[in-house]
Amino acid sequence: MRLWRWLVILAPTLLGTGLALYFFLVYNPSHNHIVYLRADLGILSFLAGLLLSLVAALVFSLRARVVQAILHASSVGAEERRRFLRRLDHELKNPLTAIRAGIANLAESSSSGHNHETLASLQTQTLRISRLTSDLRKLAEIEVRQLERLPVDIPPLLREAFRMAGEHPAAARRNLNLSLPQAPWPLPTIQGDTDLLLLAIHNLLENALKFSSPGDTVELHAFEDGQQIVIEVADTGPGIPDDEQPHVWEELYRGHTSRGIPGSGLGLALVRAIIERHNGSVSLRSRLDQGTVFTLHLPAS
Amino acid sequence: MNSKPSILLVDDETAITDNLTPFLGRSGFSVEVASNGEEALQKVASQNPDLLILDVLMPLLDGREVLRRLRQASNWLPVILLTQVGEAGERAMALEEGADDYLNKPFDPHELVARIRAVLRRARPGQPPPSAAARLACGKLVLDRVSRRVWLDQSELSLTPKSIMLLEYMMTHPDELVSRERLLDVVWGWDYPVGTRAVDTRVAELRKALDDDPTRPCFIETIPGQGYRFVGTVETRT
Repeated sequence: MRLWRWLVILAPTLLGTGLALYFFLVYNPSHNHIVYLRADLGILSFLAGLLLSLVAALVFSLRARVVQAILHASSVGAEERRRFLRRLDHELKNPLTAIRAGIANLAESSSSGHNHETLASLQTQTLRISRLTSDLRKLAEIEVRQLERLPVDIPPLLREAFRMAGEHPAAARRNLNLSLPQAPWPLPTIQGDTDLLLLAIHNLLENALKFSSPGDTVELHAFEDGQQIVIEVADTGPGIPDDEQPHVWEELYRGHTSRGIPGSGLGLALVRAIIERHNGSVSLRSRLDQGTVFTLHLPAS
Repeated sequence: MNSKPSILLVDDETAITDNLTPFLGRSGFSVEVASNGEEALQKVASQNPDLLILDVLMPLLDGREVLRRLRQASNWLPVILLTQVGEAGERAMALEEGADDYLNKPFDPHELVARIRAVLRRARPGQPPPSAAARLACGKLVLDRVSRRVWLDQSELSLTPKSIMLLEYMMTHPDELVSRERLLDVVWGWDYPVGTRAVDTRVAELRKALDDDPTRPCFIETIPGQGYRFVGTVETRT
């Protein structure tokens, strides 16, 4: 690759220089107009050769860079996929182990009183797997299904999400605040699927409630920023370690701080999928022991 | 005699048929099993069951094709489709092809029994079910299922695609108590925490568009704490 690039640069350069030299050497410098013309032609061909080789070098290096970027992207994709499969394996392993143990119990036990407990546990574990497959399907469908694109009025949507958050068992011991701009004008509408957007905001609020502790504050803000609507869900919870932050949007990712807190590991992946389907973007800022803010950017219509 | 409704259960996955057969048996049905579409068509012809439970994804002849052949031959045997994935396309297909109802895998077997009972109760032997009709009417309300258009008193209503799906499911299952969860599954294809509210919002929208008074409904009745019921008499038009 590199050798070729040099050849491409050198060949026309040499050709151009050669031509120029030819004109200068064959015709001695004189005041003959034709000779001058030919010398000029030589210089021109030299310049043209130089330009061509520069262009060729540029094209080649750009192409090389694109190829490298594609290779890099596909290795990132492959790495993400490997991580996903490892997590899926892990998510299935636990309930399946429990199910196999339960079945072994049933096969060996003779007392029917004990069977009842085992059956209840088997039921719970199979429901857990059902929920997992249903969540994965949800995610896959959001990524491909045709979205309803109707004008969505954001303030009522946020008030609804906020009201639902207020009914969460953890809500009673948190300070919940909702702030919507009244001035200089109300939020513009966006084109989208109101149910999916409600789900995204609900997931963020539910996370904030789940991961924070009694006495913490959870806030929902929205404001307009140029052509975009920005929605923030902020909390004074435990924060997310720097090294975990890039992964929280990935499917089935469960950070160290989320151990012991129930969840599928798909909530934020769903949020990301929903917002990206609305041509928006998601981001987060977090400081350990201080709090986290999740930010959604959605294009206004 | 013949007190037990007969069911033909068609699925290529023996793990499913082996476990569902005794369960359905205990629920009061006599169950026959077929493991592919060809066998299903033969058994329908030879045994004339009261209801067919049909898996969509099968070798040789898939469930969708079996259903299509039955309906083309004007066989209106009640059919419940077991859809493999909750994709919107497959859900829409299930009703379009004239299935009486469908259930997404994995499902609760109790839910299957509830579906079977509802379908059997609604079925009028030898007559096409509302879900096989291209046009449904209830008084001044007309739904064209092919063009996805709705008229009230001959003037066309502007409804969202989801509202039309909701109305379609209600009208193809008249006089049946439909739970919010079921409607969620029908219209959105999944259950989610905010879902039942979303159903209520859509039903309210639909009522407003249909000019239906919830206290004295002509179309959609609320069954408090349980769900909704389409109370009007539905006529099928082709």
